[in-house]
Amino acid sequence: MTLEVGAARVLIPTGIRRGDVIDVRALVEHPMATGLFRDPEGKPIPAYFINDVIVTYGDQEAAHFAWSSGVSRDPFVEFSLRADREAELKFVWRDNRGGVFAQTADIKFVT
Amino acid sequence: MGNRVPIGKLAGGLGASYSCDRMSGFSRRSFLRASCLAFFALAVRRLAGLEQPRPLDDVPWKVQQVLKQLFGDRPVQAGHVQLDVPTVAADGRVVPVMIESDLPMAADRYVKAVHLLVDNNPDIHLAEFRLTPQIGQAFISTRIKMRMTSPVRAIVETSDGALWGAAADVRVTVNGCG
Repeated sequence: MTLEVGAARVLIPTGIRRGDVIDVRALVEHPMATGLFRDPEGKPIPAYFINDVIVTYGDQEAAHFAWSSGVSRDPFVEFSLRADREAELKFVWRDNRGGVFAQTADIKFVT
Repeated sequence: MGNRVPIGKLAGGLGASYSCDRMSGFSRRSFLRASCLAFFALAVRRLAGLEQPRPLDDVPWKVQQVLKQLFGDRPVQAGHVQLDVPTVAADGRVVPVMIESDLPMAADRYVKAVHLLVDNNPDIHLAEFRLTPQIGQAFISTRIKMRMTSPVRAIVETSDGALWGAAADVRVTVNGCG
């Protein structure tokens, strides 16, 4: 199975107006190995998962998620955000081996 | 030659024991009637059980330890949280979870964190979502792994320290945790 660890997408709706509460969806490709599974040869697969997600909106932290390995492979998360200014929405995912993955989306209002 | 039983006699004996209602005292008809009654009684009890939401104070000891670690002795009240999970999850590796709360997200009083717990997972405290008033509505949707059939708990923590929770049972057929 090919998997590009860290490839990420952040989806925001189009046609946002000032003050709207929008749905933000984000997905990052990651195996999220629990450390409890074994490969076909019987060797344990070491734990490898994202444990920290920071969402910043402009220069402020909007949300901060702490995950265990219990979140599914290619972790997906959806939540709301009050779009009250035009700014960059930035996601930073960190895994337990020091990997850092980032993705941004620009929040712009329709005139 | 001495221990040979005539075929006719054997078949006759069998036939009699299968078909004779009056001799056994416990006929097929009464057995069927009794088992039907028992089945309906169990079904009714199960349906009655399903209608009630799972009580929040029905918490196993290992989960109580996790709750104590997270929140100390603060009680978790039922309400204000809507937890949307499937009743039956075919694949324990991908179980969709949706948590929603009608609590306000104002600057002075907001939902500080959403905790997700799965009783029978190796890691009971599965995820914590810390939010700010910038998040216009307390709503989280994600996908989780489940080792086996288990209650799933969502606990919402407000900025003034109140705890609100909801729980639901998810039946899992394929182990998602190893």
